[in-house]
Amino acid sequence: MKLANMQNFSFVSRLWQYLLAFVLIAAITAVFFVLRDVLDTTLIALLYLIPLGIITALWGLGPGITSAVVTFFTFNYFFIRPYYTFTVHRPADVVILVVFLVVAVVISQLVGRAQAGLAAATAREREATQLYELSTALTGLHDDHAIAQILAKQVQAVAEGEYVELNVTGTRSFAFHFPETNRPTRPSDLIVPIESARGLLGEILLWRSTPAISAGERRLFQTFASQGALAFERAWLAQAESRAQVLEESDRLKSAILSSVSHELRTPLSTIKAAASSLRGREVSWDSPARAELIAAIDDEADHLNLLVGNLLDMSRIESGALKPKREWNILSEIVGSVLARMKYLAEGHQIKVDVPESLPLLPVDYVQMEQVFTNLVSNSLKYAPAKTLVCIRAWVKDELIHVQVSNQGPQIPSEDLERIFDKFYRIAAADRVTGTGLGLSICKGIVEAHGGRIWAENMPDGLAFNFTLPIAWDGVKPPQFPMDTEAE
Amino acid sequence: MSNAPHILVIDDEPQILRAIRTILTEKQFRVTTASRGEEGLTLAAANQPDLIILDLGLPDMDGVEVCRRLREWTQTPIIILSVRDSERDKVAALDQGADDYLTKPFGIEELLARVRVSLRHSAHAQSPESKVVKAGSLTIDLAWHIVKRGEEEVKLTATEYKLLAYLAANHGRVLTHQSILTHVWDPADANHTEYLRVYMRQLRKKLEADPERPQYILTEPGIGYRFIADE
Repeated sequence: MKLANMQNFSFVSRLWQYLLAFVLIAAITAVFFVLRDVLDTTLIALLYLIPLGIITALWGLGPGITSAVVTFFTFNYFFIRPYYTFTVHRPADVVILVVFLVVAVVISQLVGRAQAGLAAATAREREATQLYELSTALTGLHDDHAIAQILAKQVQAVAEGEYVELNVTGTRSFAFHFPETNRPTRPSDLIVPIESARGLLGEILLWRSTPAISAGERRLFQTFASQGALAFERAWLAQAESRAQVLEESDRLKSAILSSVSHELRTPLSTIKAAASSLRGREVSWDSPARAELIAAIDDEADHLNLLVGNLLDMSRIESGALKPKREWNILSEIVGSVLARMKYLAEGHQIKVDVPESLPLLPVDYVQMEQVFTNLVSNSLKYAPAKTLVCIRAWVKDELIHVQVSNQGPQIPSEDLERIFDKFYRIAAADRVTGTGLGLSICKGIVEAHGGRIWAENMPDGLAFNFTLPIAWDGVKPPQFPMDTEAE
Repeated sequence: MSNAPHILVIDDEPQILRAIRTILTEKQFRVTTASRGEEGLTLAAANQPDLIILDLGLPDMDGVEVCRRLREWTQTPIIILSVRDSERDKVAALDQGADDYLTKPFGIEELLARVRVSLRHSAHAQSPESKVVKAGSLTIDLAWHIVKRGEEEVKLTATEYKLLAYLAANHGRVLTHQSILTHVWDPADANHTEYLRVYMRQLRKKLEADPERPQYILTEPGIGYRFIADE
């Protein structure tokens, strides 16, 4: 129904063009008619060429040629003696008439062709612009959904279509449609396959009943589709590459873990095996003091093993981004106190000084994870600093941040390595005698950063200090303060 | 021998079952084992054990779910076993009615201590508990609301006393943040762990010799608190 209307409309507009052409010729003829006695016949013939040119330029070849023929007769009828007949007496007039007809038709054709050429050039330019816009929009996109979105929107905009649907087939199939309305119930008016060298990637479906889709538009959308195919392939290649990189990275990590772990795990296992088997055999008498010592060794080494496995689990959790702090408002001094209570025996050989004021605000941290940060930093200090030296734990507030420092009087670290000590498996070269997985500090880094904080190491005049800062606010909320009931019962 | 407490152990690892069975039998307990959740539930109903030791990582069903189904019909004490870093599961099981937890790997002393505490609490659930709790130099008289440190009475605020009384009445057992907040404050305050932190600090200052290294009120990281009294 709509289609018929549109065709009617185009037919009517063509009719109007002819009608207007005739009106223009009639008007000019009327003017010339008034001035017939003043103007020379040849001049009139020449002047007639002006409206003819205008008509062709405005409305094209059809109205131009028709007008030329009509003008030929009008000219003969009104301006060539004898007037009001189509007969011609003077041979010169015959020449004028023939020349006029030839010139009029030639002019009409020339102007008309120029017009058509211009229209074609404009169309080509528009196509080129649209293609350029599409390829610019697709440049640098590595997300296939974004590509589909841009491609569909661009097809819709250029076609001025009612609805566009883009289906990507194959392993990562998905569909995108535009605008966000329901899909028309009738079948689509145009289907363009999106093809690459490796085969069909998908298709673009376009709904636009009127005007009917022209061959030129079909070609244009095919070009769009191949641009889209290129963009999809590029995006998928980039994704595959980054996946390969991640895999390679995690592969490297895994082999590093394996080599470090098999060594580190075997040490406590050897002790346990040796102790357990000698207890089982008859080598150690029931009441010898060696017995108690062996049992203690098994117990200690089992704890050590458990710690190693825990560290590995934490590291893999940090690596995979699964380490999510379970935040609550906590008291820092309580966390530090419980860590030190647990490390009492480990810390026997050192002096520990704590300056974590109770007046510090409550901190929005994961209690267990924060305990681990302190455990690792303190145990690192205990491992590397000589016996009987001082290990200090201090905390203060500055600029909306809590600042924590764990310092020791152990060996300094070359300044170029200060950042690297937080890397996985980094071990100080000279510290072969110290056991560990080389994961403790990188776990600290992972936890502190998951809390939105920062951690770094610095050389002090007499040793090494680990520092970290944490925001005091929790998603912009300041630490709670509430009235205590101070009345004694 | 038939009066010895009966313990049901539900764990899918045969080595753990073997070790626990050996040790508990040695300590004169009667032991039944199950390696799956459904089997455990059936045995619990058939044998009416005095205590259940339940691993949270079972192959056929979630340990928290086992805990919930047991609590539908029995108040038998439940001690849960789980690996490190599963605080969420532990808290879920404790809030479902489990009495205590142990983190694998655990020492046998720890296991026996938990078993003793749980059995004592379930015995006291039937006969009224002694109203005086002693812990080191502390004496807490729950009937008369008097707290003494040595011979000297400790002045506590109403909330502090309520908190201490709840901890002391459940001495030896872990109490989750949520259970303390619900009990001492209000169910609506169950998420305000900051109340707990601040009041706990006040309480420790009044009761502990070194509030940063408490002897009586212990923090169970990520879970809650535990009051340690004399046996």
